[in-house]
Amino acid sequence: MHIDLKKEIKESGPGKTGLIILLLMIAVALLAPILAPYDPYQQSIASLLPPSWQHWLGMNHVGQDIWSQLLYGARTSLLVGFGVGILSTLLGTIFGVSAALIGGLYEKVVMRIVDAFIVIPMVIIIILVAAYIRPSILTLILLLSLLSWQGGARIMRAQALSLKERGHVAAARSFGANHFYIAWRHIVPDLGPILLVDFIYSVRRAVFMEAGLAFLGITDPTVVSWGMMMRDALSFSYLNVWQWWLVPTGVALSLTIVGLTFIGHAAEPVIEPRLRGVEIA
Amino acid sequence: MAIYGDEALIAMTPELKTHLVERFALDEPLWQQLGAYFLALFQGELGYSYYYNASVLSVILGRLPWTLLLVGTSLVLSTVLGIVLGIESGWRRGSKTDRTMLAGLMSLNGFPDFFLGMLLLIAFGVTWGIFPLAGALTPYSGLSGLALLLDVLRHLFLPVAALTLAHLASGYLLTRNTMITVLKEPYMLTAKAKGLSQRVLKYRHAGRNSMLPVVTQTGIWIGRVVTGALFVELVFAYPGVGYLTYEALLARDYPIIQGVFLMVAISVLVANFLIDLSYPKLDPRVSYAY
Repeated sequence: MHIDLKKEIKESGPGKTGLIILLLMIAVALLAPILAPYDPYQQSIASLLPPSWQHWLGMNHVGQDIWSQLLYGARTSLLVGFGVGILSTLLGTIFGVSAALIGGLYEKVVMRIVDAFIVIPMVIIIILVAAYIRPSILTLILLLSLLSWQGGARIMRAQALSLKERGHVAAARSFGANHFYIAWRHIVPDLGPILLVDFIYSVRRAVFMEAGLAFLGITDPTVVSWGMMMRDALSFSYLNVWQWWLVPTGVALSLTIVGLTFIGHAAEPVIEPRLRGVEIA
Repeated sequence: MAIYGDEALIAMTPELKTHLVERFALDEPLWQQLGAYFLALFQGELGYSYYYNASVLSVILGRLPWTLLLVGTSLVLSTVLGIVLGIESGWRRGSKTDRTMLAGLMSLNGFPDFFLGMLLLIAFGVTWGIFPLAGALTPYSGLSGLALLLDVLRHLFLPVAALTLAHLASGYLLTRNTMITVLKEPYMLTAKAKGLSQRVLKYRHAGRNSMLPVVTQTGIWIGRVVTGALFVELVFAYPGVGYLTYEALLARDYPIIQGVFLMVAISVLVANFLIDLSYPKLDPRVSYAY
């Protein structure tokens, strides 16, 4: 693991672009209450207004300021994204590393569960469960995490398997270190860059899924979300409101995902070092 | 009353209810219900949908051809295009063409399929009115023959375009990545030293060896054929299985959902079997593993 992730991202053009986009989105999400000129939940009788100096992106069908909603939507997307990113990377590390270290029947069981989850279409399971329990933001994060750690676990296990054969791990073992100590002190620190790549892809997937579920109308209806805004806007597609309602929302969502894709791609040589030195220019 | 849910019973006639209770042993313990379900399954009966007032099998089979048409067409298009673009881009790695294609397709990758669908719908359907807005056929048009075919194609165009664009990038990125690693292999140098033409080098030597991951991925997508187009079908109100799943979900029509799940399970298994069969053809080394 002698690859400097920071350098890898900084030296790649798309990587830098992605980082800038993501930081911008994070800033928008954090500063939403300051930046938003209106309360995004405040309804009024001024419905379906075109953009004006007071309302930059007009008003939606129940008279809410679309620009303010757009800013607050970044919060929902990124909260779900980062929440799922952290949790599923954590789960992936725990199961991947423990499977590699413990081995035997435990490893077989864990890896077969992982295989099963990878081939099952995740979308339909999430939709079914979500339609049943109508998840709040917190339950949505838990649900998405439970269904998305498996890919990471597979990579983590592969890496841990090679790491545990190294000399320093054998030395630690001969001093009587247990599995937990070895995992925590010798394996996980060396997984660093891989954890980050897995994290970024988990965030990306979660942002995508959150928007999709909200678009289907099966998330918490009291929280502003880009997916929900697009769903509402689509039902008025016969008017010209899509220009300032649908398109900016979709672009904000796509931009966030594009940013994450760029960062992920720039960091990918960490998993596949043979790709290095190609688009660096 | 396991799979039917209480809301369902309100919508049912008493005769239908007694029939269903009897057929699926709904007043028996859970394990007997399971047994009855399997028994009915082996007799080809998937249950009865009270929302559509038809048997589950006939509802799903009525929708399946549209999904197969939609997903199949876009899968072939996006895979072939993705592989060709990936080979060309990987061959020119580091060049300006490669970098532009990479950035462009990665950006495209960030657009959710339903947003792409909406953009296409608004541009070509609403604003310019070139393509129809919804459905798979013009209703009550009484078309036949060539006119019918054209009508189907006209309805198919936008959903297929949305799905193809949404999935183009993943095949492209995989091919390009593999292409780059393959081009570093010693046999590529040998092939070049033999004086083979660029076309042969690019497609027969490097390209073919870069296809394996894409085939795996396409296979996984075939497994998702049933639900893969859910969002796009929803945007275009295309009467496929994905749209059916969504409708059934809103109506709490559990027999339909259960039936769709069975289809998903079958298609995943079939797809994985097909991938395993195709591996040795693409990479003879794989067959040693058996």
